[in-house]
Amino acid sequence: MIWQYMVEHQQRIMTLVLQHFMLFAVSMAFTLLFGMVISIYAGREKALQVGETILSITAAAQAVPSVAVVALVFLFIGIGATPAIVALVIYSLVPIVFNATSGLLSVDSKIIEAARGTGYTDRQILWKIKIPIATPVIMAGIRSAATINIGTATVAAVIGGGGLGDLIFTGIKLNRDHIIIIGAVLTSLIAIIIDTLFFYLEKRVTPRGLQVKR
Amino acid sequence: MIELNNITKKFDKKVAVQNLDLNIEKGRITMLIGPSGCGKTTTLKMINRLIDSTEGDITIEGRSIYEMDAVDLRRSIGYVIQEIGLFPHMDVFDNIAVVPRLLKWNEKKVRARVEELLDLVTLNSSYAHKYPLQLSGGESQRVGLARALAADPEILLMDEPFGAIDPINRARLHESFISIQEKIEKTIVFVTHDINEAIKLGDKIAIMRSGKLIQYDNVTNILYEPENEFVEQLLGHDRNIKALVLKKNRDYIVQSGFVKVLKSDNPSSIIKAIEGDSRRRAMVVDKDGTFEGLFILEKTRQDAKPRLIFIDDPICVEKNNNLQETFSLMIEAGESSLPVVDTRKKFLGVINLEDIFNEFKEQDR
Repeated sequence: MIWQYMVEHQQRIMTLVLQHFMLFAVSMAFTLLFGMVISIYAGREKALQVGETILSITAAAQAVPSVAVVALVFLFIGIGATPAIVALVIYSLVPIVFNATSGLLSVDSKIIEAARGTGYTDRQILWKIKIPIATPVIMAGIRSAATINIGTATVAAVIGGGGLGDLIFTGIKLNRDHIIIIGAVLTSLIAIIIDTLFFYLEKRVTPRGLQVKR
Repeated sequence: MIELNNITKKFDKKVAVQNLDLNIEKGRITMLIGPSGCGKTTTLKMINRLIDSTEGDITIEGRSIYEMDAVDLRRSIGYVIQEIGLFPHMDVFDNIAVVPRLLKWNEKKVRARVEELLDLVTLNSSYAHKYPLQLSGGESQRVGLARALAADPEILLMDEPFGAIDPINRARLHESFISIQEKIEKTIVFVTHDINEAIKLGDKIAIMRSGKLIQYDNVTNILYEPENEFVEQLLGHDRNIKALVLKKNRDYIVQSGFVKVLKSDNPSSIIKAIEGDSRRRAMVVDKDGTFEGLFILEKTRQDAKPRLIFIDDPICVEKNNNLQETFSLMIEAGESSLPVVDTRKKFLGVINLEDIFNEFKEQDR
């Protein structure tokens, strides 16, 4: 039955997968951009209170359920793909900002002092010392944001965002288990693939000096 | 070379350094020492403007550092901190190459310089592509020194660079640091809280307490003429023993009071010679003057004939080592007299404990 449905609705499923992926890609792109800007701002060693405030806000925000965010965005912006993307950006920002900020703040102050004393400018300290050293933590945040994003994108279907969530909600409405299963399994599959890809990316971009064994 | 004129540094209301005048001499090692919170590290960091002074001026060869760009200033001064200061994501090569690359040297010149520096700090070139996490404390510290020297700065600032190293390796690093400085003759400002380190490495010592300079003088004067009780306490009760670090074995060698024999000499004549020696031993030296060992006598029973025993690796000291090490060795081995050799094992004479004691008496006068 599952197979039959998939063959019959091939076209629609493909569109939904693509839509889901687009929701993910667009929202992640914005999240990365905003997330890094916020984290770089929050991760300055000169303004520790800012960083610590943002850390506690994001730590608390991680407990907010995704449905709540989607509902709030619906209230303020309405329905469609754009509000869905806005909701996804807001929701995925949390782990990225949390990790990147704490990663940047946890770079040993002795190392930063050595860099400054050696003659690095503030900008060089950020790009050549702090970000490379914080890479494993930053990447872990991006990776968990990516998987959370894929999952939350299904909920976005409620406000007309499209994607595989459509399939799941259709299944629920029509009381057809196999449709729900197709939607759920495909979503999980994409999440696993994305997670694996980001895992290898993380290994790739982490400087070798931080990965060596003693 | 570096002049601090009436420097005061306040953090909010707290005074860290107060009206400090210090003239640091070119090509020498100046040690800043004092209890924690005395302002020594603050003083050091004001020289490369990691901290700006509240009042007063600092000049380097007559030019105020506040007229220079802080980043340019720092690139022209070597800076060494505890081992943790290496950049963990860069390998040894990249760590050493940091300043030359910031100064935009071409890669060929950078490469040549890094190799030269690895050689200077006695690290094998295979270390170039190791990462800081793979290095021991001593190796990291050598890399740290090489990094600070990379662009051949005139001045080197060192903030407790050997603080995190175990005593044995620290002593080894001290030796190589001294011999490196003999080659490079940089103007070095060195912060430490270890008075032994200050005496061993310093040409001059600046003693600080609660932000003020208490005494600034060369090491000998500090040891023999401490300004006040505080300095005396800092030096400790054993300052006479500490002062021995400044003395070299070669100045205390005596040529008498021992017997010298060839290994091939007639045993009975050797025994006779030893019996006539107050310390009951004979130095074995070959025809070329090379020290081979010692003969001593062993008596098993009261009436038995003494037996001649040859020791081929007796404790001996090297002429360029300091008297403090010799003194420790004597105490450890329970010997009141030790043979002295040069680096090629040539026999030069002996050092006697009573001569070291005489040195103490002289110091107390």
